[in-house]
Amino acid sequence: MKKFKTSASMAFLILVAVVMLFPIYWLFVSSAKTPGELFGGNALLPPSHVVLGANYDVLTGYESGAFWLWFRNSMIYAFGTAVVGTYVCAMTGYALAKLSFPGKKAILGFVLGGLMVPTTVLIIPIFIMEHDLRLTNTFAGVILPLIVSPFGVYFMWAFSADGVSRSLIDSGRVDGAGEIRIFHRIVLPILVPALVTLFLILFIGTWNNYFLPLVLLHQGSLFPLTVGLATILSLGQQGLGVSSYSALLLGAVLSVLPMLVLFPFLQKYVARGLTFGSTTGE
Amino acid sequence: MVIPRGAGNRRPGAETTSEDGTELEGHGRRLRRAGKNAAKATSLGMTMPFVVLFAAFFIIPFVYAIAQSLESPSGVGPDSVHNYKVVLSESGFWQSIGRVAYIGVIQITVIIVFALVLALLLDSPFCRGKRMFTLIFFLPYAIPGVVASIMWGFLLSPSVDNLVHSTNLDPLGPNLVLYSIILIVVWEFVGYNMVIYRTALTSISLEVIEAARMDGCSEFQLARHIKLPLLRRMIIFTSILSIIGTLQLFNEPEILSEITTISPTYTPNLSIYNEAFAFTNIPFAATESIILLIIIVGATFAFFTVTRQRPGRRRIAPVGKPGAPRTATRRGLGFPPSLGGSGKGRPALSGPSARAEAMLGSTGSTPGGLGS
Repeated sequence: MKKFKTSASMAFLILVAVVMLFPIYWLFVSSAKTPGELFGGNALLPPSHVVLGANYDVLTGYESGAFWLWFRNSMIYAFGTAVVGTYVCAMTGYALAKLSFPGKKAILGFVLGGLMVPTTVLIIPIFIMEHDLRLTNTFAGVILPLIVSPFGVYFMWAFSADGVSRSLIDSGRVDGAGEIRIFHRIVLPILVPALVTLFLILFIGTWNNYFLPLVLLHQGSLFPLTVGLATILSLGQQGLGVSSYSALLLGAVLSVLPMLVLFPFLQKYVARGLTFGSTTGE
Repeated sequence: MVIPRGAGNRRPGAETTSEDGTELEGHGRRLRRAGKNAAKATSLGMTMPFVVLFAAFFIIPFVYAIAQSLESPSGVGPDSVHNYKVVLSESGFWQSIGRVAYIGVIQITVIIVFALVLALLLDSPFCRGKRMFTLIFFLPYAIPGVVASIMWGFLLSPSVDNLVHSTNLDPLGPNLVLYSIILIVVWEFVGYNMVIYRTALTSISLEVIEAARMDGCSEFQLARHIKLPLLRRMIIFTSILSIIGTLQLFNEPEILSEITTISPTYTPNLSIYNEAFAFTNIPFAATESIILLIIIVGATFAFFTVTRQRPGRRRIAPVGKPGAPRTATRRGLGFPPSLGGSGKGRPALSGPSARAEAMLGSTGSTPGGLGS
């Protein structure tokens, strides 16, 4: 009986795994097909002859190399947001958890309240404001609003509250170190696991973000990959013709490749952040 | 949502206020006090980068949007709720709300059922390769919604996919495109939800599981009567995240609108986006944003209130507290100790989520921040 249950479970899991992986398999296979084969051939089969080079030329030929520019932009947005965001959230979360100063309760209240506001609703208002401040079409215009992560502060607040011991902070004070020095020398090293998690969540969130850069950027040379790929899709529809579609799929592959390669190693850190604050129990 | 109930008496920092117990002589005390004030100023200063950015990119835009929405167009006269009247009387806006509500009911049900089945199966003794399956199911999280939509858009198009073509259906046609969007979102989020459930399952006390097995509980009964009830709070938590996410649906319909007949007002966020950029009617977009915000917060609280009325079922088993010794919980599933997994390798952080436990946390959208 157990054998039967095991085989049935495994069959089901494998079936679901195949369904989950199938689109990714299709994407990789199709990115090496000619446009003719993409639309005429069998969608399941590998390409009859691999034309990666030709597709790559079409992709990078678009607006003379815009693709790698978008790739670079995505890197700047994601790294900028993740590095600065992690640092700012850690400093704020730690101060709220372990230090005493006037206005602390009010700040904490705003952070917790901020968790409840669905952030895409703020994107148009942010656009209006950035437009007046001439921040649209700048790198800072994209990175700054993404740094403001109430989740990040909340995450660091709870991690510092339990993970940073008072005796360590006090030993730093006895040695005459200032609060900022204590934070950098003593607290940050303790928070490393949490910093890694928040860094990855902010990085992936920014790399995958579409709505915010779409609204704030109207200049092709500043687009991240998501907005750039969507542009190729709409141009292909409007007249660039089907020839651009294989290149588009290759661009999609290249945009997810770094993440697919790294994800197995990063998965557990990311999972820790996603499930944070939702632990069962009373 | 985030209501730190019961956190009051153990709020972090509460213990930091009463540290000065020593007797000091006059001069020393003055010095000490000056030092303390300087330390307080520094501490406040440490929060300033975030506070300033929060004010600039959260509070001010929010207030600004409310102000914009109250501005009546020229020629209407001083009617501050004019925009609200117009938006609320537009059938298109209500249709978009109804559409995401319909999508939400289907996709949240499907996602939760699938994620639960997968999580419970992976938690049962009937499968091998648990880590590999977890990774495969979670993989779509790493793929941008834009790429997922492009990928599925092609795959579901009869002109590309001969399998779809042979069924004589057009999943991207006006009748079925809604279900194609659901399919894409389900594919993206089943694994995400499953990981959350699996983490919760690993924190169930091993003793409880063993005791139930000793009493002759079958694996199915174990899943149905012990594990499932313990996942209740987690199901509520993920449902709220999904409700918030679905009401903000944008990426998938926006991308598919390039290759299908999806209208510019298909979802509320699509409507807001097009109102602002295709029609350059910013006050309208601001008004719709505010109304959507109210609907999302309202729906979240309504759901929370309804599900908080627990059925009269007693808690059957204690859950392994993250702060407690972890010897009794199951090990080796690759999750950090704070989430009830293996206890090795994380000395300094004994149980940060013990505090978070006191509150049902939720993030406005996915934790990535401004809706990816």
